[in-house]
Amino acid sequence: MADFWDGYALPTIIILAQILAIMVPLLVAVAYLTLAERKVIAGMQMRTGPAKVGPFGLLQPLADGLKLFGKETILPAGANRLVFIMAPMLTFVLAMVAWAVIPVGDGMVIADINVGILYLFAISSLGVYGIIMAGWASNSKYPFLGALRSAAQMVSYEVSIGFVIITVLLCVGSLNLSDIVNAQKTVWFAIPLLPMFVVFFISALAETNRAPFDLPEGESELVAGYFVEYSSMSFALFFLGEYANMILMSAMTTILFLGGWLPPFDIAPLNWIPGPIWFALKIALVLFLFLWVRATFPRYRYDQLMRLGWKVFLPLSLVWVILTAGVLVAFDWLPA
Amino acid sequence: MPKVTVDGIEVEVPAGATVLQACEEAGKEIPRFCYHERLSIAGNCRMCLVEMEKAPKPIASCAFPAADGMVIKTDTPLVKKARNGVMEFLLANHPLDCPICDQGGECDLQDQAMAYGAGSSRFLENKRAVEDKHMGPLIKTIMTRCIHCTRCIRFASEVAGVDDLGAVYRGENMQITTYLEKALASELSANVIDLCPVGALTSKPYAFEARPWELKKTPSVDVMDAVGSAIRVDSRGSEVLRVLPRVNEAVNEEWISDKTRYACDGLLRQRLDTPYVRKNGKLMPVEWPEALQTVADRLRRTPAEKIGAIAGDTVDVEAMYALKSLLEGLGVASLDCRQDGTKLTAGPRAGYIFNSAIAGIEEADFILLVGSNPRVEAPIVNARIRKRWLTGKLKVASIGAPADLTYDAENLGDSPTLLGDLVSGKHDLAEALSKAERPMVIVGQGALTRADGAAILAQARALAEKVSLVRDGWNGFNVLHTAASRVGGLDLGFVPGAGGKDVAGILAGAEAGEIETVYLLAADEIDTDRLKNAFVIYQGHHGDRGAHVADVILPGAAYTEKDGIYVNTEGRVQLGRMAVFPPGDAREDWKILRALSEGLGRTLPYDSLAQLRQKLVADYPIFAQVDHAEGGEWGSFGTEGTVDAAAFAYPIQNFYMTDPISRASVTMAKCTEAFVLTSAADQQEKTGTHG
Amino acid sequence: MAFVDRSARAFLLTELVSGMALTLKYFFRPKVTLNYPYEKGPISARFRGEHALRRYPNGEERCIACKLCEAVCPALAITIEAEPRADGSRRTTRYDIDMTKCIYCGFCQEACPVDAIVEGPNFEFATETREELFYNKDKLLANGDRWEAEIAANLRIDAPYR
Repeated sequence: MADFWDGYALPTIIILAQILAIMVPLLVAVAYLTLAERKVIAGMQMRTGPAKVGPFGLLQPLADGLKLFGKETILPAGANRLVFIMAPMLTFVLAMVAWAVIPVGDGMVIADINVGILYLFAISSLGVYGIIMAGWASNSKYPFLGALRSAAQMVSYEVSIGFVIITVLLCVGSLNLSDIVNAQKTVWFAIPLLPMFVVFFISALAETNRAPFDLPEGESELVAGYFVEYSSMSFALFFLGEYANMILMSAMTTILFLGGWLPPFDIAPLNWIPGPIWFALKIALVLFLFLWVRATFPRYRYDQLMRLGWKVFLPLSLVWVILTAGVLVAFDWLPA
Repeated sequence: MPKVTVDGIEVEVPAGATVLQACEEAGKEIPRFCYHERLSIAGNCRMCLVEMEKAPKPIASCAFPAADGMVIKTDTPLVKKARNGVMEFLLANHPLDCPICDQGGECDLQDQAMAYGAGSSRFLENKRAVEDKHMGPLIKTIMTRCIHCTRCIRFASEVAGVDDLGAVYRGENMQITTYLEKALASELSANVIDLCPVGALTSKPYAFEARPWELKKTPSVDVMDAVGSAIRVDSRGSEVLRVLPRVNEAVNEEWISDKTRYACDGLLRQRLDTPYVRKNGKLMPVEWPEALQTVADRLRRTPAEKIGAIAGDTVDVEAMYALKSLLEGLGVASLDCRQDGTKLTAGPRAGYIFNSAIAGIEEADFILLVGSNPRVEAPIVNARIRKRWLTGKLKVASIGAPADLTYDAENLGDSPTLLGDLVSGKHDLAEALSKAERPMVIVGQGALTRADGAAILAQARALAEKVSLVRDGWNGFNVLHTAASRVGGLDLGFVPGAGGKDVAGILAGAEAGEIETVYLLAADEIDTDRLKNAFVIYQGHHGDRGAHVADVILPGAAYTEKDGIYVNTEGRVQLGRMAVFPPGDAREDWKILRALSEGLGRTLPYDSLAQLRQKLVADYPIFAQVDHAEGGEWGSFGTEGTVDAAAFAYPIQNFYMTDPISRASVTMAKCTEAFVLTSAADQQEKTGTHG
Repeated sequence: MAFVDRSARAFLLTELVSGMALTLKYFFRPKVTLNYPYEKGPISARFRGEHALRRYPNGEERCIACKLCEAVCPALAITIEAEPRADGSRRTTRYDIDMTKCIYCGFCQEACPVDAIVEGPNFEFATETREELFYNKDKLLANGDRWEAEIAANLRIDAPYR
């Protein structure tokens, strides 16, 4: 009995608690990210944004959620039911499971695995399946076009993201995310690897289908892209997954380039503030950048998008991999 | 033949033509208010001013005879200025009430003010106001709008032949009035509404109903009498709102009778809009299949010799043809279209049509009316006779009760025996008839619907042969019908076949039990009480006499609701057109019969009206000649016999109510009250002038 | 030199940065949003809002059933039926506007010879059902009674320009 308790039950409870500790703030963050998005964009357009539901519109996400929850789930007659229903769940689950390896503070991580970065990369790449499934299962032209665009786009930008990650890994010498953060104690990688930071950020925009790379959803051309046919909770799951992905990519950016939970300078009073707070603040900053970019730039044309991915970012990141490796070898700065 | 130059175009006009006619000939439109082609020339509106070379001032073209070598200019600044001046004077006293005026949208003054009006008024004084006059239940007067063109006065005294309208006072104070505030007592009275170029005389039943631009206009023909006047049916949505005349020089020129014009409100009342079947003594609404099944069962069960069919007075040829084909297929011989019992037969066509045609009246120089009062039976024909009579070249005599025909007619007496006297030469009028160049005898239904009608018809034929009414290029033997469907029915041979019974026979047979099933195709002008013992199938559009005794009612279409062929009293084949859809579940009559034929297992060989007409024309080529009055071969008709000396009785007692549509009409009821039930003395009593 | 200049711009992302600087600047500008149900923007005297049928000061309805508005209506939203009233005057028995068809062009009020049909200043007439937007004569006259003061004031302001 004690064995069972110590060997299985307690760890399970602990893990569940850890999952909850990550999931609940994450979902709340997703909810408020939608509000923040509307507020930020409104602000940049000299509007106030949602202001009617609760003080400053703070209850708006709740109202939106209730509204979506109250709506009818429509299954298109020609849709492949199983795939159609699985697609949003897959998207949502993938956006969640990635958080298992994200260190929110020193040692504060559910699964501190050695190949954390690879795991993240793999999970974020899997996201494209949700979209392809949704687009195909809808059995409708706009979702299908949106899914095709999305797949091509995500695959293209993952290549440059991969090379960017390699540059960072070269400087760290470990695939463990906590190690990556700790390697930035002296200086955040964003400073020495600034061009890669920019490339990574832009690729992250494309990876999450955010403006100006939101072609898969392009309201003005594809109605709403791959989730045209979705309504109610299945739509909400897509929505949540997409925003969770944004937060995930922000977290990756933070970990890879902005020093994770580390304070900007290891001095009082900055280092009094606990790591998770710093981590959250940095994520918020990157997310603000996401929104800011959306409010500023018009949508790319599809050929421009592809050109940028393959003819600019790929060579650029390749050059930087070689350059970084060369510099590390030449000055013998290779990590142990 | 004077030659006149109009705006550089040289035209040749007949002697006696006016400058205005010359301008029309040259294709120039001259604005006018008082001038009207069919009325005498008044020359009082001055709108038609044109410039004539060598004349010191503009001339009124309508009243100025065209002379050889005239040079007319119609579009010079002088003409424009003159017309602008006239228009300004006309508008000075014309109220600015176009928004509430029923003439708005079809007003001559409105239209011409667009071309010649100043746009603003310099007239700061008070406008003239005139008291409205009472002109009966049809004509609404707003006399302030009157521009004194006197068209209405001229129409009443010249065309209608009643001197009820006139003008009092002079100049600006002139007023058009009926003097005694009595209704305009003419069957053509409402034509003054069309003539009025402004909104002074408007239609009372149509008051404020609709605007001309809202209306769908369907050219059609009238079925209220046998003249077949050309009409335009104005409808909005599913309602016929008004009926207006169309120009047809051969038939009605541009007049129509008040019944033609105003019976249309009867199309909305008393309508049969769903099939009925009598169950336990009560008519219950049913669906079409049940009604058709009931009829089919009944027709199948009844032996053919015990079935009778009567076609009504306003039925189209197609419906009669379909019914005839269907029933003859069953072996039924008792068919009749002669509800009034007229003794005309389907024999030689010349024996039952108005051979000289209505336009032929204008050549006639002697007319003998036999048992006919055309003023009531066919006001349009009467107007033609009056038109001819006014030229002074026509003498009219009549046999029948004395009646005011609006022209002088020598009344020979009211006994049919006079005909025999004429034939035998005992009466000296036969001499005058044969001496006349274009003699004409008009035999009315008053003479032919009597029991001795066939004998009278034979005598009329004898008279015609004696005075040689039929000459080269002229046939003066005319039968004046009262029912729009009659000639068509006779052309079709919708009369008893071998061993068949006629209308009287069917009625008597129904009473005696020899006829068990009677098919009434919109037939209401019979004594339906006598049908009580029979099973009555009524197919028609109004809940009138026929429907009351019916055991099955099949709702059909009225004349405005179907495309149909009608043959008028001249034998002129004319097309009526559908203006609105039949109400509710009612259907076009031929379609009902076609559906019924399917239920009987004897499907009629046509699925569309076009196919029906092709079949009809193949069987009866006469119906192919649309808008053409085909004369007939002279032949033997009528039956020799003794003629009863009893006086002729005119067939129509109340002009305003002769068929189910006009009987259902409120306007016609008002007219009946005003003109038929009330004597002239009572009328005067009713207007407020006697305190 | 131009090449260097262009390359430098491209690699230093100056355009992107200046664009983002602009949006950021606007982020801190005062907002122009009106707190709608509590604050409302000014509307012109010629504003074409909800329709109303007006009356004369003595209570007599202005509309004389001339049907010009019906004729001019490009959306065929107006339906009028008329007949003589008991006193013989020309009045409508039916005056319907299908507000779901109406395009608020204002032709009806331009066509009206007696200023009977007007588009008033009211724009807050949303309903929960379509049927409520099929206005009949009673509704339009009630609108007229309710908004008469504003409508009359607007007409007065606009009168010099007509």
